[in-house]
Amino acid sequence: MALSAFSFPAHVNWATASDAQKSSSFSSHFLTWGGTNLLCPSQHKLNQVRKRSGGACASLSEMGDYHSQRPTTPLLDTINYPIHMKNLSIKELKQLADEIRSDVIFNVSKTGGHLGSSLGVVELTVALHYVFNAPQDKILWDVGHQSYPHKILTGRRDKMHTIRQTNGLSGFTKRSESEFDCFGTGHSSTTISAGLGMAVGRDLKGRKNNVVAVIGDGAMTAGQAYEAMNNAGYLDSDMIVILNDNKQVSLPTATLDGPIPPVGALSSALSRLQSNRPLRELREVAKGVAKQIGGPMHELAAKVDEYARGMISGSGSTLFEELGLYYIGPVDGHNIDDLTAILKEVKSTKTTGPVLIHVVTEKGRGYPYAEKAADKYHGVAKFDPATGKQFKAKALTQSYTTYFAEALIAEAEVDKDIVAIHAAMGGGTGMNLFLRRFPTRCFDVGIAEQHAVTFAAGLACEGLKPFCAIYSSFMQRAYDQVVHDVDLQKLPVRFAMDRAGLVGADGPTHCGSFDVTFMACLPNMVVMAPSDEAELFHMVATAAAIDDRPSCFRYPRGNGIGVQLPPGNKGIPIEVGKGKTLIEGERVALLGYGTAVQSCLAAASLVQSHGLRLTVADARFCKPLDRALIRSLAKSHEVLITVEEGSIGGFGSHVAQFMALDGLLDGKLKWRPLVLPDRYIDHGSPADQLAEAGLTPSHIAATVFNILGQTREALEIMS
Amino acid sequence: MRCYGFTPIQGSDSRLFHLPTTRLINIPNSNSRFSFSHSSFFTSKLVSATCMPPVSLRTTARAAVNDGLMTEEAAAASGLSFYELLGIPESGSLVDIKQAYKQLARKYHPDVSPPGRAEEYTKRFIRVQEAYEILSDPGRRALYDRDLAKGLHLAFSARRQYQSNEGMEERGEWKNRWQAQLSGLKRRSMNKDADGNLSWGARMRRQRDELANEL
Repeated sequence: MALSAFSFPAHVNWATASDAQKSSSFSSHFLTWGGTNLLCPSQHKLNQVRKRSGGACASLSEMGDYHSQRPTTPLLDTINYPIHMKNLSIKELKQLADEIRSDVIFNVSKTGGHLGSSLGVVELTVALHYVFNAPQDKILWDVGHQSYPHKILTGRRDKMHTIRQTNGLSGFTKRSESEFDCFGTGHSSTTISAGLGMAVGRDLKGRKNNVVAVIGDGAMTAGQAYEAMNNAGYLDSDMIVILNDNKQVSLPTATLDGPIPPVGALSSALSRLQSNRPLRELREVAKGVAKQIGGPMHELAAKVDEYARGMISGSGSTLFEELGLYYIGPVDGHNIDDLTAILKEVKSTKTTGPVLIHVVTEKGRGYPYAEKAADKYHGVAKFDPATGKQFKAKALTQSYTTYFAEALIAEAEVDKDIVAIHAAMGGGTGMNLFLRRFPTRCFDVGIAEQHAVTFAAGLACEGLKPFCAIYSSFMQRAYDQVVHDVDLQKLPVRFAMDRAGLVGADGPTHCGSFDVTFMACLPNMVVMAPSDEAELFHMVATAAAIDDRPSCFRYPRGNGIGVQLPPGNKGIPIEVGKGKTLIEGERVALLGYGTAVQSCLAAASLVQSHGLRLTVADARFCKPLDRALIRSLAKSHEVLITVEEGSIGGFGSHVAQFMALDGLLDGKLKWRPLVLPDRYIDHGSPADQLAEAGLTPSHIAATVFNILGQTREALEIMS
Repeated sequence: MRCYGFTPIQGSDSRLFHLPTTRLINIPNSNSRFSFSHSSFFTSKLVSATCMPPVSLRTTARAAVNDGLMTEEAAAASGLSFYELLGIPESGSLVDIKQAYKQLARKYHPDVSPPGRAEEYTKRFIRVQEAYEILSDPGRRALYDRDLAKGLHLAFSARRQYQSNEGMEERGEWKNRWQAQLSGLKRRSMNKDADGNLSWGARMRRQRDELANEL
């Protein structure tokens, strides 16, 4: 696209007069008709005129070439740890930021990962490490997906090509990985709390380091951030909170049709903070008054200034001030001069109490494709840096997420009481598809799972049929609300838990291992799991039909297996508490729950060559269990193996409990459970993780052989 | 040229428009010679004014009317908001806006204009494109709707006002603000741990300082 070629140079010299360029590249996006290229001629001229002044260049060269080879980064090559940065000048810091930017783009293009957020905080990271002395000074990164520049600067640059891969760097901050990662993150809104804990701990131990917590405006929509700020204001311990505001509150901050404004009232308050022009004059007056008073009358001047600030700064900063944090900002988050000046000042001030610095950044800054994309390239697969095109593997089937969204849309077409709720994950849960079809029936509450669940409970009270689409791992946050607000009162809220089981590159922070355990132990909950996408459609219909009690179902990350979908995407409700047998065999029965059934089927075909015909059954429901099925399996087989991709205390435990109480274990039956091991499985490819967990078809087959005493065959299968 | 109180951005001087003009004054007959000397300031011509001191606005207004020509400003000022231009209701969705834009852009593109009217069509096309640009970005659309509600139809020349990134000037403002905040912080910190402050943090700091002094 010829137009965009001209917009690259803007981001090389963005410190100087880049705004004109930026606005033109922004509007060139809309010039879908080549006709009136009002702005291109001037861009072209600027492009030719500007020459990079002396010194080694960052690799974002004038013509915006992005290399497929590693870009040249002469300054960054000399920096392994933050201490190597201390002697740099501001000009060199800017060059360093450029180099880090190109390094991040290069690395992520090779491995995939979180791009936009990392690009937005490059200058902030450089400024923080320049001013503060990690690891004595604690720098915490909320969620951690923007920590790629931080990792590059703290001794992990040579391992960046392994990020998010098996045995490689984690995609988030992790304490066991480096001493510079002071707190493990992955779920959002935890850094102010942790930072306050570290500040108080420092005070109790009599130490003198700084504590800096970086949190985004999206993470600020979660309640925990306010709980922490409230406590911080009360305790008055010295710490710095950096609010990284890029107006991206949900993921992605775009529907399928274009950008949407961020959800929530907080974002508009923050925007108001940024644009306070009408009150400028009042400010000038107030400053004049303060100047006149000035001199030795410190306190009076301070009072005047504070009063003026309170009047001028609008309601946003007053919120933070009321919570007890001293508000500074807004600050241009891409201007290293400003950032270092402010951070130095705050660092050198002796007793500050908690301070909040409001930094305004742009997600995806410095990479034109990311800036223009609606989702700002938040999470990308491997891509080609020169064109921005991602290499998405062609799959024959769609993801379970998409199937769920389509199933819900089909249900909502016939039943107008169905509404969908999600917590800032419109893309990840497929609810953007639902939003497009039913704009008034889809609710994005921001990063607030607790509120989402109780909100759904309220909706259910009024006779609506709410579907909460929340990741299994994020449901952990809302557990009390599930128990107390939904289950105890038996309100018919439906929980659709995506990303159940192992999730691959995101690692244990996003792993949904515990949802069967914590949902199935609740007295009134119906717990089910589909074994393939067709079953998913039926279970969505079943959940829609269950109107007298809460229900939930879980499905994994990944694509379907390719079975025939029900016509019109409309599933048929299944009878609650009914499983089904897929293969009739003898001696050994595999009772699977959820997509583990597919592994059982694969295991059955593996052992077939050894002359063993296994029975494979799909339990479908963990609660209420299909007792008849279990009884018949127990009575007609020697061995019963329950398989699930969940922790101990889940499906297998419920089966065992039932069998024990029913007397089925008093005879000759051998029962063995296959569950996720009692440790956290590190990030890696899904296949690697499954192997590490011991739940692959080979593992299942080996277990079968071991129980039957055929250990030779077991070893054979495993190698 | 930086007029005091005016912003340097062209045509975006909202200060001028703080007075309550609700609807534009309709010029019944653009050919007649009206004298605007008494109620000059707030005529419809105001809409298309660029950043100029008050006097020349008046002059421009009078000049434009007296010429009796249907200038571009006159056309723009005759009350076409972006919504009317695109032919959609004010509550139109993004899809409606896109459709209207595509339709009109196809119609008014200079390449397909009838001969002789290319210039007029080009001007219309530019206005349509500007309308789309502003209405399709929710942030800028919100700003535009707000101004519309106040009764200001800022047309072509005012497009820069709605850019979300308002350039160096705003950043300069920010700098002043945070510099003042930093000095406030410094001032506050001098008195912060006075004995009257009983917060946990203050007590710990006093304790720490006492220990340091003892050593």
